[in-house]
Amino acid sequence: MRRVSAGIRRPTTWLAVAVLAVLVVLVALPLQGLVAATLRPDAIGSWTDVLASPLSANLFWEPLRNSLVVGLATGLIASLLGAFLAWVVVMSDVPGRRVIGVLATIPFALPSFAIALAWESVFRNERLGGNPGVLASLGIAVPDILSWGMVPITLTLVAHYYSLSFVVVAAALSNVGGDLLAAAELTGASRMRIAGRIALPVVAPAILSGFLLAFAEGVSNFAVPALLGLPVRFQTLSTRLYGSISTGDTERGYVLSILLVVIAALVLWVGNRFTAGKSFATITGKSSRPRRANTGPWKWVLFALSVALVTATTIVPGIVLAVSTVLRRTNSFEAGLTLHYWIGESDPSIAQGMRGVLRDPIALDALVSTVALGFAVALGATLVGLVGAYVVGRLKRARVVGGSISLLSYVPFLIPGIAFGAAFIAQFGAPIGPLPSLYGTFAILVIAGIAASLPFAFQTSRSALGQVSGDLEEAAVIAGAGTARRLRRIVFPLASRGIVSGGILVFVTMVRDLSLVVLLVTPATPLLSVMTYRYASEGFTQSANAITLVIAIVSVAATLLARRLQGAGQPWSNA
Amino acid sequence: MFRRPMPTRLRSALVVAAAFPLLVGLAACAPAAEAEDAVDYSALSHDELVELATEEGEVSVYAFTSRIATVEEAFEAEYPGIDVVATDISSTELITRLASEHAAGSATADVAYVSDAPVVVTELLADGVLEAYLPPRMEDVLPAEYQTPLVANRLSTKVLMYNEEAYPDGSPVSNLWELTEAEWAGKVVLVDPNVRGDYLDLVTEMSLRADDMAAAYEEHFGTPIELADGVEDAGLQFVSDLYANDAVLVDDTDTVNAAIGALGQSAPPVGFTSYSDRRDNEDEGWALQVASGVAPSPGIVFPAMLGLTANAENPAAARLLIDFMMGDDTETGGAGFEPFYVAGDYPTRTDVVAPEDALPLEELAAWIIDAEASAERRDAVADFLLTIQ
Repeated sequence: MRRVSAGIRRPTTWLAVAVLAVLVVLVALPLQGLVAATLRPDAIGSWTDVLASPLSANLFWEPLRNSLVVGLATGLIASLLGAFLAWVVVMSDVPGRRVIGVLATIPFALPSFAIALAWESVFRNERLGGNPGVLASLGIAVPDILSWGMVPITLTLVAHYYSLSFVVVAAALSNVGGDLLAAAELTGASRMRIAGRIALPVVAPAILSGFLLAFAEGVSNFAVPALLGLPVRFQTLSTRLYGSISTGDTERGYVLSILLVVIAALVLWVGNRFTAGKSFATITGKSSRPRRANTGPWKWVLFALSVALVTATTIVPGIVLAVSTVLRRTNSFEAGLTLHYWIGESDPSIAQGMRGVLRDPIALDALVSTVALGFAVALGATLVGLVGAYVVGRLKRARVVGGSISLLSYVPFLIPGIAFGAAFIAQFGAPIGPLPSLYGTFAILVIAGIAASLPFAFQTSRSALGQVSGDLEEAAVIAGAGTARRLRRIVFPLASRGIVSGGILVFVTMVRDLSLVVLLVTPATPLLSVMTYRYASEGFTQSANAITLVIAIVSVAATLLARRLQGAGQPWSNA
Repeated sequence: MFRRPMPTRLRSALVVAAAFPLLVGLAACAPAAEAEDAVDYSALSHDELVELATEEGEVSVYAFTSRIATVEEAFEAEYPGIDVVATDISSTELITRLASEHAAGSATADVAYVSDAPVVVTELLADGVLEAYLPPRMEDVLPAEYQTPLVANRLSTKVLMYNEEAYPDGSPVSNLWELTEAEWAGKVVLVDPNVRGDYLDLVTEMSLRADDMAAAYEEHFGTPIELADGVEDAGLQFVSDLYANDAVLVDDTDTVNAAIGALGQSAPPVGFTSYSDRRDNEDEGWALQVASGVAPSPGIVFPAMLGLTANAENPAAARLLIDFMMGDDTETGGAGFEPFYVAGDYPTRTDVVAPEDALPLEELAAWIIDAEASAERRDAVADFLLTIQ
């Protein structure tokens, strides 16, 4: 057996070197630039400002507490809801589960501010003035705790990010063979007990991946805490970080983001301890169809819960977003509806003569290059994430290498887009030796996009690969298959559900993310996300939301298409 | 990263420092080469500048406003041989991008149209990323304060505004200090100055105008102001009292507008926002009006500035674009200024008549910020704000 493991290990070492090299260029160097910028003589004081000065309480410690509570609560609740829905869709006999499964992937494709806006349109109270939400206008007094701060921020983020958990766990659950469950049934265990004691534990790595992604997204999200937190002076690390950078105190912002990386590293380490040393292989080569639990009379309760969840997080925010694009006045029904913001000719009396977004000459170009960018980044990030996850899984003893790959693949969310962008300009802005400068090309957007979306690709791949039993590979080694062949013919196909899910998440973030590309984009490569910024910055909310809706539709279409291409093996088709 | 972005930045500074004497020496040895490189653009006639610019054929501009697209169309109509490549990004990102590109020695814009004047002073001008260009014809029509540190083509505002539907008899506030009293508790809305630079500029100006703030205090309360422990001046005391009076902080200007401006409110809040947003009243269902006459001042006026990048690739076309955006000699500034000719914003040129439907700048009586003084003070103000949350 030793020869067999060596046969797997040696080429894996080379893969590890390659992945590490990529991660150093894409993540470690920008991170090192961030650290270096805070260590200059005129910037080093930022560390004491943040950590030990009269400012620290409001600049760091209080926001840190808020970020941790919001991030952990978001991670936990999102994992719980995501796993629950995944079980309903993949393993139960609840009616309408296919539709529920499609709807549950959509919240992530909606911008988080749309969900926050949906919350506001219901729960906004008198604190701010302006137009009150539905409840307040019905004369119901809404306490501040429901309108602003911790509770609405956390719930909004959960509504946005539970679909991450859903996607990852659903992919993993559909790989849990019926034999495992059948074996449990033979012992006389009840069906609900099987679900709780067997199905859920074997997808623990997927749940952990979903949690880690939701946590990192939760602590780095700026739009939601800014919208719902500031009115009651609820500050998080992300609002402090963003504020420092945008008011010109960049080093302080960088110190905050480095501290955020450290905290995330701790969370990652603790999280990995939970699954360390255990095997979660459920794909063993002995094929068996998944079985569905018969939920009996609970069926309709589960149905009602699931429908309520997807309605609140997908349908309502989707409608709020769609309606906001046809309101003559921003967020108000009083002046009626219009399609002007979509298809109208320039009319000086409306929105300062801004024409409808579909008449914008660059709209189509932007659509094409956005999809191309999303696709290229999804391919690249998936490849890097997959190889990285494979290496980490197979080189269990090389803790330092594995730990470095895991960490570098996890933190890109936490590096502010503006700092990432600046780092890429520094690295690729000038020609490197004989190579021409990549700056201003499509390639640099793709490279930056890959760096930023690695966490999705890596975490989903890790969870998917964790299910593929090492026995299969060892058998292939004995049969004389080389590394490339094993990966191509055995590992990747078996883990494909999870891998494709990761690719979709990457695509979705890429088509709507602005913060990173905005520093690198040129007029030659128009992007939809840049168009939304352009409209929003001049206060043309309807036009900005119209483009946002286009982005969401593109994301959903891509998701459905990927599922279709994946064929009949999809978790929600084998009804 | 604004201040000293990358390790390379220091290095390039050293290289420049080392190379400079060498370059000067070389230049002295080779007068012919120098004559070819160093065109004295200010000495050129307009037609000569156009000729050189047309030879270059292109000019790239980074702008903090999407209205640059309209400028692009107008410029290309006026000078058909020159292609404008316009990129619009937020001021913060624009500043970072310029500084990073400068440090990396990569392709960059020729012209920057940028707000956030105090940050521009410390991050871009101090490091030589941007240079000033004053079109010669502006010398007589532009007041000195708008000629430096960079030429400014218009002024925007952050001033106290109220809902004129709910308060038809004019501003419900006549002295800023009223906002610190119980009547306005929880009813003053502004963007968090720790989140947006223009609001930090507003608070910084209050600190710089501490004497005016102190006088207004005495006028309102009848007694001289007494500063609390750790509060340096009357301006900061005002903000401290305002925060203590439960001022509502939000994340952007449109949120302020909707909160104070929305029609149908019985007792709406007041707040600090852009005077020019009043033009959206009808469109958005707002009743925004400026609290003019409030003592000591309703707020600030700040410049949008135009600069050349160091070693601009298209130096003539860059200057021509700046010249164009300063407007022509008609009363409204013509096509180059048209997108910025908006009630509530103010042209800097003395010979361009400010749009009707807004108070003249003198009557508005807002403080005009001094970018350099502001740059020196604003970090301390930002720190102070962090202690009074």
